[in-house]
Amino acid sequence: MADQLSLTVNGQQHTVSSTPETPLLYVLRNELHLTGPRYGCGIAQCGACAVLLDGAEVRSCITPIAAATGKKIITIEGLPALWAESKNVPANEHTLHPVQQAWIDEQVPQCGYCQSGMMIAAAELLATKPSPTIAEIKDAYTNKPPSPHLCRCGTYAAIIRAVQRASVAMKA
Amino acid sequence: MNATLPSSLPANFRTSLPRLTRRGFLQSGGALIVSLASPRIHAQATNPTMPARNISIASWLELRDDGTIIVRTGRTEIGTGMSGFYPQIIAEELCVHPSTIRLIMGDTDRTPDGGYSAGFLTGADNLRKVGAYTYQALLRLASKKLRVPVASLIVEEGIVCGADQKISYADLVRNQRLDLTIPVSGDLATVDAKAWNGLAGLDGLTVLGNPPTRPVGKYKYIGTSNPMPGIPDKVTGRTQWTCDVSLPNMLHARMVRPPTLGSTLIAAGKIDNTAYPTAQLIVKHNLVAVVSPNEWEAVSASQAVAADMKWSEWSGLPTSDKLTEALRSYKWSKPSEAKGSVEETAAAFGAAAKKLSATYEQPYVKHAPIGPYVAVADVRLDGSATIWSHSANSQGLRAQIANTLSTTIDKVVVRWLDHAGQFGRTTFGGDGAEGDAAILSQLTGRPVRVQWTLQDDFAWSASSPGWVEDIACSLDANNRITALKSSFYSGQSNDARIVGAILAGMPTIQSRPDYWIATEWPYDRIPHRHEEVFGMPNLGSDSPSGVGMRGLIMRTPGQRQQNFALESLINEAAAATHTDPIDFRLAHISDSRLIDLIHATAKAADWQPRPSPNPNPRKTDGTQLHGRGMCLMIRQNACWVGIAEIVITPSTGVIQVTKFTIGADPGKIINPPQLERCMLSGVVMGISEALKEEVTFDTGRITSTIWSSYKILTMAEMPEIKTVQISHDDKGYGGGSEAANAVCPPAVAAAFHDATGIHPRRIPLTPAYVTQLLNRNPTTPAKS
Repeated sequence: MADQLSLTVNGQQHTVSSTPETPLLYVLRNELHLTGPRYGCGIAQCGACAVLLDGAEVRSCITPIAAATGKKIITIEGLPALWAESKNVPANEHTLHPVQQAWIDEQVPQCGYCQSGMMIAAAELLATKPSPTIAEIKDAYTNKPPSPHLCRCGTYAAIIRAVQRASVAMKA
Repeated sequence: MNATLPSSLPANFRTSLPRLTRRGFLQSGGALIVSLASPRIHAQATNPTMPARNISIASWLELRDDGTIIVRTGRTEIGTGMSGFYPQIIAEELCVHPSTIRLIMGDTDRTPDGGYSAGFLTGADNLRKVGAYTYQALLRLASKKLRVPVASLIVEEGIVCGADQKISYADLVRNQRLDLTIPVSGDLATVDAKAWNGLAGLDGLTVLGNPPTRPVGKYKYIGTSNPMPGIPDKVTGRTQWTCDVSLPNMLHARMVRPPTLGSTLIAAGKIDNTAYPTAQLIVKHNLVAVVSPNEWEAVSASQAVAADMKWSEWSGLPTSDKLTEALRSYKWSKPSEAKGSVEETAAAFGAAAKKLSATYEQPYVKHAPIGPYVAVADVRLDGSATIWSHSANSQGLRAQIANTLSTTIDKVVVRWLDHAGQFGRTTFGGDGAEGDAAILSQLTGRPVRVQWTLQDDFAWSASSPGWVEDIACSLDANNRITALKSSFYSGQSNDARIVGAILAGMPTIQSRPDYWIATEWPYDRIPHRHEEVFGMPNLGSDSPSGVGMRGLIMRTPGQRQQNFALESLINEAAAATHTDPIDFRLAHISDSRLIDLIHATAKAADWQPRPSPNPNPRKTDGTQLHGRGMCLMIRQNACWVGIAEIVITPSTGVIQVTKFTIGADPGKIINPPQLERCMLSGVVMGISEALKEEVTFDTGRITSTIWSSYKILTMAEMPEIKTVQISHDDKGYGGGSEAANAVCPPAVAAAFHDATGIHPRRIPLTPAYVTQLLNRNPTTPAKS
């Protein structure tokens, strides 16, 4: 039967009833109603389900919740608070992470299905590399394991512009 | 009170429409409601032998006394910016800011018109007229209220001014309920055995008449940036996507599909309810699913039970390696469509100084959205059904679901929500998980959410079929093409049957395997041409399960394929005559719009005239081969030009497109930044198709079912992209977002020839195919 596991998601502690091998994606979506991460492939080949786990991007579709306990999980719903915390300012419902603001300003999403994962990847990249070159952005989105972040609408050019815009905003 | 009656209306409309009536005065609130007046619905309501349709007809537009304007359209946002364009168009006619307009899209019970979501041009024409009729009615209301003639009124941002007085739209409708009915024609979608794809009315209703519209020279919002309204919610996680619908008592389902596209069920397995206590196996004919209140349990139990199912063997496919042979060996009868004169073309070929011929081909490719199909259905005992869907044709889907469930159309509601881009696969209102969900909900008596896996989607969704085209041209002594003839052969692209219904043995629509001439002819100075196209039934269409390799249209359908053959032959002819490919085209074109765009795009790409192949493909580094190529296309009142620059690494066969310059002239540009992003992203999809995409299949099943076997372009493989836009105030609107993908493959193929001297006659140009081409031509520069 289901165990009681504790997860820390977007700064809040949750007790969930799913079995330990259940992928984090299903728990986030169906138990915690955080629908930012989305099912794309179920085998870590596309990036639509990406979340941050202790600041590092993971694919929630193959990450069992047992591997996420005791770690800080961030979905796109938690990006504003993450940013506010890093700046030591209070967050409210209008707060946006600079990555989210850049995604709006550059009108990145077309269908938008993959973009939660794209923004998570941007947040991770900019946390570790505040001023990435175009080549470094392309490398991060393509060659970092476990797979490239795929966008079928083809928004890659807009993503590059948005990452650069967010980079400037985060250093301001 | 009558609004301005357009003189172009047929007499039967002029007697009653458009009409503005006051339904009464209200204590509070107030609105102007713009509804359709359909002759069909009117006739039904007054004919005693036909019961009135017991459904409310949603209005087009609602102008409320708080200043908000709600606009309803059955067409949906498919990722290319329509949700931004439609408000611009209607705002322009109403003289209000686009941000005051809220769009409701796609819901069959809350939108009036139906129609293809990809059909932006007809959708825009409808909404422009809705806005124009409403504007005329508002002017008349203001004229009466202010006692100022209509001709003396001006409107700014929803405030009507005249004779030193002013009144807002909101105040004009306050405390009143005003109805404006406007004339329409057409029918909503229905199943129709006589229709080419089994459905009639997919283009929905058309607003009639020609109300006075704003002159293009006075446009304030069209031609400027207007953001897509849904984006802030998408980047913050507030959007409710189709996959997010969660209903009380809902079951999650995973499908257990047959091992091949033709297998039938011999014996169903059993679910181990000690391991999966709440999972349940549902079987209807060949439709098998596992349902559970817990999604992960449905996933796990479906994987476990799949190994325990017994299906028949089937091996009716030719394999993807032998696709071309299969197309060649099919007994084609007469063409589905033909254009031009056989005799004149034959005479020109007979008198030719030179003739060129080639055969081009492409395998099956996939729409391949990042989100596999998903749907939720709630089918009740009374026969009513609500479907939550991301179909690009909600009305068509509604008709199909009603047909499959053997209920009436008025009992089915389709609610549309955002989801992953479809790229044409739901344009005819079919395919998808909706059929599975509706059937499972009917069987279980509970709401059911069906999420296809990625593997399900690659293996069981429809594909854009493989094709072969024979094409030839004749040239005179001056190196001018005198005639061109082409024969295009493809699997059908209109099988919109719902796969769940086929497997369950329930009613489905039927289509005819016809194809169509999609080319819009740019070369008006080529005197003679003869084109013919042939369609064949799906591969495996006679399989025991009835499924087979279903074919459906995909982005820039038909023209994407036929333009590849046409433009590749034009490039071959330019090379054969030792002429620069742009100069060669200019000698065969007189359309000044196209000529201007060619020049502007060539300038942006820094194109230096010379014939192909490249006399110095190795440049200075010695190991890689450099080439450039171009192509053009006309589609839906828009001109397109693509110029590719590539680098080939012969040792690996890898092609990198280093730079792509794309030019578009879509008439009056509505929203330049949104057009630019559609051009940039369309190039990514087009290069992906040129270099990577191929559905592989064995004798029974599709084998490219994950992203590592169906490869698409990654960010690192994207070239530097330059865009060129030309807007014309006097040319109307053209198709501005779809076609960007189609100008990539011919330009990349031409660049390959420029670099190697070899004409590639097949896409994708994968490393394996490139290596094969280079090895087959030992005398080319690649091996020198």
